Amino acid sequence: MGKVKQQKERTFLQDLLNFQGSLNGKSKFLDEVRLKGAEEVRNISFPTKKLEDWKFISLRDLYKDSYELASDLDLEVPDISEHYLPESKGARLTFVNGSFSAEHSSTEDIPEEVLIGNIAKLAEEDNELLKKHLNKYVENNFEKDVFSSFNKAFLKDGVFVYVPEGLTVDVPLHLLFVQTDADTNYFTTSRSVVVADKESEVTIVEDHIGLADNKYFNLPVVEINAEEESYVKHTKIQRDSREAIHIARTAAFVHHHANYESYTITRGAKLSRNEPRISQRDEEVEFTVDGLVLIDGDQVSDTHSVMDHRFSHCESHQLHKCVINGNAHSVFNGKIFVRKDAQKIDSFQENRNLLLSRKGLVNTKPQLEIFADDVVCTHGATVGQLEQDELFYLMSRGLNEQQAREMLIYAFALETIENITVDSVQDLLVDEVHQFTENQLDSKLTA
Amino acid sequence: MLEIKDLHVCVEEDPSEEILKGVNLTINKGEIHAIMGPNGSGKSTLSKVVAGHEAYEVTQGDILYNGESILELEADERAHLGIFLAFQYPVEVPGVTNKNLLRQAYNTIAEEQGREELDPLQFEDHAREQLELVDMKEEFLERSVNAGFSGGEKKRNEIFQMAVLQPKLAFLDETDSGLDIDALKIVANGINELSGEDNATVLVTHYQRILDYVQPDHVHVMIDGKIAKSGDKDLAIKLEEEGYDWLSKDASVL
Repeated sequence: MGKVKQQKERTFLQDLLNFQGSLNGKSKFLDEVRLKGAEEVRNISFPTKKLEDWKFISLRDLYKDSYELASDLDLEVPDISEHYLPESKGARLTFVNGSFSAEHSSTEDIPEEVLIGNIAKLAEEDNELLKKHLNKYVENNFEKDVFSSFNKAFLKDGVFVYVPEGLTVDVPLHLLFVQTDADTNYFTTSRSVVVADKESEVTIVEDHIGLADNKYFNLPVVEINAEEESYVKHTKIQRDSREAIHIARTAAFVHHHANYESYTITRGAKLSRNEPRISQRDEEVEFTVDGLVLIDGDQVSDTHSVMDHRFSHCESHQLHKCVINGNAHSVFNGKIFVRKDAQKIDSFQENRNLLLSRKGLVNTKPQLEIFADDVVCTHGATVGQLEQDELFYLMSRGLNEQQAREMLIYAFALETIENITVDSVQDLLVDEVHQFTENQLDSKLTA
Repeated sequence: MLEIKDLHVCVEEDPSEEILKGVNLTINKGEIHAIMGPNGSGKSTLSKVVAGHEAYEVTQGDILYNGESILELEADERAHLGIFLAFQYPVEVPGVTNKNLLRQAYNTIAEEQGREELDPLQFEDHAREQLELVDMKEEFLERSVNAGFSGGEKKRNEIFQMAVLQPKLAFLDETDSGLDIDALKIVANGINELSGEDNATVLVTHYQRILDYVQPDHVHVMIDGKIAKSGDKDLAIKLEEEGYDWLSKDASVL
């Protein structure tokens, strides 16, 4: 067994190195980044269940196949305009199978003081801001992490946003990552770096959509830097293909008096692993890392988060809600670190699971490591189901079972999405809950 | 309108324990009934069974509504026929406004009964009129169903829902419990206003108190899963004075 596994891993790495050569050439800066990434990958092994942080899920599905780099394939791109957010008509960067698509992007509503563009292009121009910020946050928050190194080794196209001091960007920035259908398994890596300078404000919607049911490996890395007194709102929607593997890293720095709000909605992928790691960089900051997971069938969703309180006076909030149906499996591991001398921390963490089927599975593990003595950290985890009395209440008002279930699931989910300020994203989520409930009832009737 | 015949009921999970042990009850249009009885006598179960709660299983007997058995109907289908249950413990549904729940409910029932559905504006007018009945402010419509409501507000909301949905047969399960005297008067007034020649109301209650404000045509006492005695409102007064003990003795003789 051990031998077979090793061989699979070698194949995977071999593929990586072959592609590596074809990427280099246009920016010396990026070439060096990629070489460094490749070197890191060579020196770190891919995780297996033996590691504490990976023990609840199996990556066999990832390792057993080989993948081609999506941008090397000549894939047809259908009309994707239905996925544009109306609020971000003139504030959207689109990446199709990992490659920047100017045709599907528009930045005309974004104030011109904002620097926004494709990383590959900015790297060719030797942009100083890009060079200053790229990799800084992910390298700090993710040490010896093979997936972020893998992302680095293939770094080419991606988002770079710099909001200058004192500026509020009124339009939400839509970062749209579309994966198309293909006969071949492919992988795609994207990088998004968002820097909000002092007293600025920006909202981003990171949106991953799989257009078909094909298998691919999506490995996005997001870096956020919220400077002093800035306010960054980050909504992530993951609607990858039901056969896809989605392994994501988010690294955020939050500075003095800044506020970072993150809401992650997980609906797609066969296997997804979401890893937000928030690092407090100074005193008096606020951050939120909420999540909503809606999974059914044989989906596996794993959220491993880190809230790293390094200085005094921080208010942090994490509400992670999961709705699990069918044979789906949800994992939550929420680490809260409070460093020595980081006093007056007020941290809230709760993981609530709504289990709709007998075969669904939930692993939940709050993990608090506190080295200061004047802190308030509350945490809790619950697993429940739809109460018969609740269904009865709504049905006795005349609603049929589908309507009643939908209302209750929506009510359960709402708390995690009601603070999202982009209206069309709210509408989208109402639709997602509706579809999810519809599927749920179908599977119940055929069971 | 409603005929309950020799109704035997157990909890689905535990078929060995009978909760209702042969209930007989007839309710006609235009009547107000009160069902009283001590804790655990089966009053609440009876109202839930009539409304179609899935946790209970009817092992014997029948429930006829307008002459037809409703035992095979789901809770929503019974609601479509005009049966309503005001809950003892109304459920909180955060994120769904009263208005949205009730409009969906109203229109579903209207469609099933072949009445005209109301568009959002028409519905709002209709709902506003009913608000006065329970002395609620307009913002009540926009609040999430029962979420964060006080006990009294929840009970008033049940009466409000009844007013909006205009049922033909309403069971009010302990709607009077946990209310201060002002709220009790509001609830009682709502019940009186809504009672008419074409509908019937059944008050399920512990206490005689609400019967000072709502005059029942018939009073029944339930003990140990059976109707132990039926009478007029004087029976309620006697119960208030003497308790249930004298009936328990009678019941055991029966």
